[in-house]
Amino acid sequence: MPEIVLEDLCKSFGDSVAADHLNLRIEDGEYVCILGPTGAGKTTCMRMICGLTRPDSGKVILGGRDATNDSPDLRNATMLSQTYALFPHLTVYNNVMFAPKTKGWPEADSKQIVRSMLHMVHLDQKADWMPGELSGGQQQRIALARALASGSKILLLDEPLRALDARLRIDLRKELRSLAKEMGLTCIHVTHDQDEALEMADRIAIIRRGRIIQFGTPREVFDDPATPFVANFVGRSNIMTGTVVGHPDGLTEVEVAGIRLPARASDLPVGSEAVVAVKIGFTKLTKPGAEPDEEDEAEDIPARGYARGRVERVLYEGATITVEATVEGLGLISAKLPNRKYEEFAAGDTVEVSWPAAKANVFPMPDCGLEEEMRLDRWRGSSSTGSRCASATSTPSGTYPWTSATAST
Amino acid sequence: MSLMGRLDELSASFRVRRAWLAFAVVVFIAVIVVPAVFVVTKVFTDWDLVQGILDDPASMSVIEGAVWNSFSIAFIVTIIDIVVGLPMAWIMVRRDFKGKRWLDTLLDMPLAFPTAVLGISVVMFWGAPEGISIPGLGLDLSPYMMLVLLHIIFTYPYMVRSLSGILEQIDVNYETAAMTLGASKWTAVRTITLPLFRAGMATGFILCFARSLSETGGTYIALTMMGVQSSFFTGPTFISWLKSDVGSTDSPEVMGSMILISVIMIVLALILLVVVKWIIRRFRIPFDKVWPVLGRKVSRGPLPKAKDFLTIAFLVVIVLLPSFYIFMYLTQPAASIDYGTLMSSIGTSFLVAGVAVVVDVILGVPLSLYIARNRNGKLANILDGLVNVPLIIPTTALGFSLALFWGSFGAGDSLALLLVILGHISFTYPLVVRNLIGAIEEVNPECEEVAMTLGAKPFQAFRRILMPIIKSSVIAGGILAFTRSLGETGATLSISSSVNTVPIYITRLVEAGDYTEAAMCSIILIAVCFVLMMAVRALTHRRQGRDA
Amino acid sequence: MTILGPSGCGKTTLIKVIAGIWTPTEGKVYVDGQDVTNVPMEDRDVGYVFQNIALFPMMTLKDNVEYSPRVKDLGKERMEELSEEYLKLVGMFQRAGLLPDELSGGEQQKVAIARALASGSKMLMLDEPLSALDARVRVELRYELRRIVKKLGITVLHVTHDQEEAMSVSDRIVLMRYGAIAEVGTPLEIYRRPKSVFAANFIGETNLLECTVSDWSKSGKTRVTLRGGREVKVSRTDFRPGDAVVLSVRPEHVYPDEEGIEAVVKSVVFVGTYWRVRTVAESSDYIQYNVPAEDEVPGEGDVVHLVLNRKMTVVFPRPEGGIEEEIRLE
Repeated sequence: MPEIVLEDLCKSFGDSVAADHLNLRIEDGEYVCILGPTGAGKTTCMRMICGLTRPDSGKVILGGRDATNDSPDLRNATMLSQTYALFPHLTVYNNVMFAPKTKGWPEADSKQIVRSMLHMVHLDQKADWMPGELSGGQQQRIALARALASGSKILLLDEPLRALDARLRIDLRKELRSLAKEMGLTCIHVTHDQDEALEMADRIAIIRRGRIIQFGTPREVFDDPATPFVANFVGRSNIMTGTVVGHPDGLTEVEVAGIRLPARASDLPVGSEAVVAVKIGFTKLTKPGAEPDEEDEAEDIPARGYARGRVERVLYEGATITVEATVEGLGLISAKLPNRKYEEFAAGDTVEVSWPAAKANVFPMPDCGLEEEMRLDRWRGSSSTGSRCASATSTPSGTYPWTSATAST
Repeated sequence: MSLMGRLDELSASFRVRRAWLAFAVVVFIAVIVVPAVFVVTKVFTDWDLVQGILDDPASMSVIEGAVWNSFSIAFIVTIIDIVVGLPMAWIMVRRDFKGKRWLDTLLDMPLAFPTAVLGISVVMFWGAPEGISIPGLGLDLSPYMMLVLLHIIFTYPYMVRSLSGILEQIDVNYETAAMTLGASKWTAVRTITLPLFRAGMATGFILCFARSLSETGGTYIALTMMGVQSSFFTGPTFISWLKSDVGSTDSPEVMGSMILISVIMIVLALILLVVVKWIIRRFRIPFDKVWPVLGRKVSRGPLPKAKDFLTIAFLVVIVLLPSFYIFMYLTQPAASIDYGTLMSSIGTSFLVAGVAVVVDVILGVPLSLYIARNRNGKLANILDGLVNVPLIIPTTALGFSLALFWGSFGAGDSLALLLVILGHISFTYPLVVRNLIGAIEEVNPECEEVAMTLGAKPFQAFRRILMPIIKSSVIAGGILAFTRSLGETGATLSISSSVNTVPIYITRLVEAGDYTEAAMCSIILIAVCFVLMMAVRALTHRRQGRDA
Repeated sequence: MTILGPSGCGKTTLIKVIAGIWTPTEGKVYVDGQDVTNVPMEDRDVGYVFQNIALFPMMTLKDNVEYSPRVKDLGKERMEELSEEYLKLVGMFQRAGLLPDELSGGEQQKVAIARALASGSKMLMLDEPLSALDARVRVELRYELRRIVKKLGITVLHVTHDQEEAMSVSDRIVLMRYGAIAEVGTPLEIYRRPKSVFAANFIGETNLLECTVSDWSKSGKTRVTLRGGREVKVSRTDFRPGDAVVLSVRPEHVYPDEEGIEAVVKSVVFVGTYWRVRTVAESSDYIQYNVPAEDEVPGEGDVVHLVLNRKMTVVFPRPEGGIEEEIRLE
């Protein structure tokens, strides 16, 4: 039986719509990430599940029971908030003890549970400390222990890692997920960080402007994005616009500024405007005439690239390098390559651009214009979405401000 | 099931929570807001009384004079407070130095002094009246000047407090950013921080203005000591003069005058509140032109030091010395004090203040909770505005209005004590609620929400999470209201002349010319208030300490 | 140049001292060879961009950028010229008349940079400029930031706790810990040849294997023995046999191979262009490695054999307080 079902949830605050007919089915024991930019309605969605916000319409069904009108304490859905919200006047021990005490469990059992939870997050030594005396990571773990001690089967995590240092965040991802899995919890994890979502989730729901635009496994979301926005939001993509010119060999061929680019199969009619998105991790840059890499050989990559360009800069980023090249007609193209290729490229080099055709996604041109579709963060202004859509200027095909605002020459 | 358990269960129902809130709101409006402005309706129901006064040029000129005095003094005082309060707020917020805590305590000191006491002390300091042998400055000041000096003392702490409150909220990074961009300190403050300050100025302005406008006890005592209490009036002293010296409120002239002046004071104060808010929101400090060289000169070297020196000097000479001057009486041969009467009046004072504070807290908690947690709601904003109403209305007018309101239900002088308590609830309520709202807003709302997702009913979450966190603020707010109630003269006087609180007793002594005895009683009252004030400081300090 | 380190290691203090916002208790600050320790901040010409952005909320973008020329009294024409130049540079010229509140976080931060640049300073201090933004916006902005900076050719000190950000934006990285500088180098140097276990673990992910040097020849060829007895060739070192050491190897330099270390797969996670496989080796060390997205991946509980790329291993003396303590982040 699915643990959490959201049916047609709607919620708006004044003029702004936080949930626009949300539908979601989450299975028992699943770890789901709700991923979206700031202001997309992620937190509202979660608050409706645990009962802190009442939906305007629609249903929340928990464990097969309609819980739309239940108060939060009856739902057995525990929230872990971004700020941890540890009770500042209680010791670590009493924080964790809160739920057992509130629910009136027998004293001995409660003590046992609290001890084992503290042990699980490796903080049994700090039971008598006040929350204010602990570091961010420790506070986060206390909040987790407190949530787990309530015996709830549903755990709602609201950007639980946001307040932590970048490096610590990465370590805690693994810890959090494995704990949740161990306890057999159904988790909903809200985040704006796509790396976090990819790494932690069984399935990812991508939410934008109060709507779920895609719900699938990390692999589906990454490889088969539903819209150009998803393609660029989950892993950066090179975005190109052009016209569909044919469907050879089960592929789609799109002409951009006179260059014919292959993309995966689609049913876009010939002559229609299309958007091609290729993950920078799947984009290949090669020196003309260079021996193909053994790894490249395995993939379906043509010997010659689709277009030539000039390397603008090469950044060493650890495990990978990012090479940026301006390509006539396509604009600035970025490629993420393994770090062993660092010595191969230098600014000014001529390179050829290519990609496995099956890795290039192709979409119809979005109705509200590409610039609006690709916007990564919310424009806080009061101007309505409609007028913004209308004013999105038609940028010359190839170059777009979000990838190459100031790239020149 | 225990009572708490039953309350927990009840609180889970949305309807019960709504009903409880509705109850708190209704009581707030029926007991606090409506009686406070009830007198305005009298203009319509008893128009003939008012008409009589309006037609009498002699009475009118007295009333006009009193209103003019009240408002012009309040205005002058507030402007001076802003000018000298700003640099003081800066010192308190942006500087760190040894003895800052002492300065902080000294700043609050005048709040611990009942204004009636300040009246005695200030008059003796600036212009020793006849019959007192202690050497004061003995300047020959006009009553007007004397009142300005007096009012500065008890409004100054309010101004500094509200200015520093806002200054603390303004990110210091704005100023720093301006300075890394090449602005001198002076320019940065003038062009960046001051424009951000508008809201704070409005609060400070209104607080000080209202406080000055409504002050009765100190003003009345000062005027009495100067011997001009029946020739020089401010609005509130005029009302209390009518009430206590002229006596009978049955005469249509007295009644008409009191109604008229109360209504004028209330209406003008409310209009002023709106206008000041509006002006300050519109008003922009022009900064198109900058003078880099001048800015630099003003920002460094001797000038800033001189500014700091003058600020501190002002505090000491104008505010602190005159307040403490009353302690000079300790050097005098002890006067015979009528301990019996003093004790009974202290008892009355404590009873009134105690009951008022308890009622404030009980009624104030649900309301503050609602206002603090629904900042964007329309109803919450309206309530937020209404809470301020008793703060702005001169307490004398408020007391008069209140007496009329309950009197119209047949509450006579036999219930005087009850009425006085109701009056004190009215003007202390905003203090408690303001304090509570501030405290609740500081608590992360997620704490309660998380508690509820952990299985707590709303009342459990409140009882076990929110209440313990804000407990010290509740007590601090309560004590503040308590001291304010202890020191109040005007409202008590205008409600009933038979309830004898300490400030009233002191006023009576002064009227009778027993300065030494009045001073001794004052010192005792100060001691009580001071102890309470220290308790507040200890509580709020502990709170900050724990947060850190 | 980037200053990188965990929270509370003194990064912000350092650049605030350089900008003159705080005065040092001891020591001196030199800019361009000149002692500026006692020069007040308004005369230092050091631009500063704050973590919380700190655009003046009551002024339009244009007024914000024009603030510096205005307070320096450079004249109206010059002022307009500068604001146009820098607003165009960050691509916000079209919206110059808006108030900061009407922009998204990323756009606000760009304007804050323009404002700092318009003061004509040759140095820019960026105090965690991206940490208040969404992850995806952060990534986008860091490329743009570097482009702007390189175009102007100014010196930039960028403070961050995000090692990915540091790698992307900087020419050189200063790694700080406990108020002291732990390591300085280009991203390449620090990633390939870190000088401490802490640096290896903090910058990029790595596998740390506890082992002992078992063999060493004069040419520097070294072999180490893992716990459990398996011997592994590593890069050249000058340790002596018997030394207690830690071997660090990046996940991308670990490959499955018949001959390798036996390990049990704990989890397989899809991270976009590749799979990340986490295993526990026979030596009870944790080893992670990557598998390209298209390749077959082992299932949980499977046994795999792994080899390390010898040239890409780095060996450190084993820290006295233990590895856990050495790599602690808080």
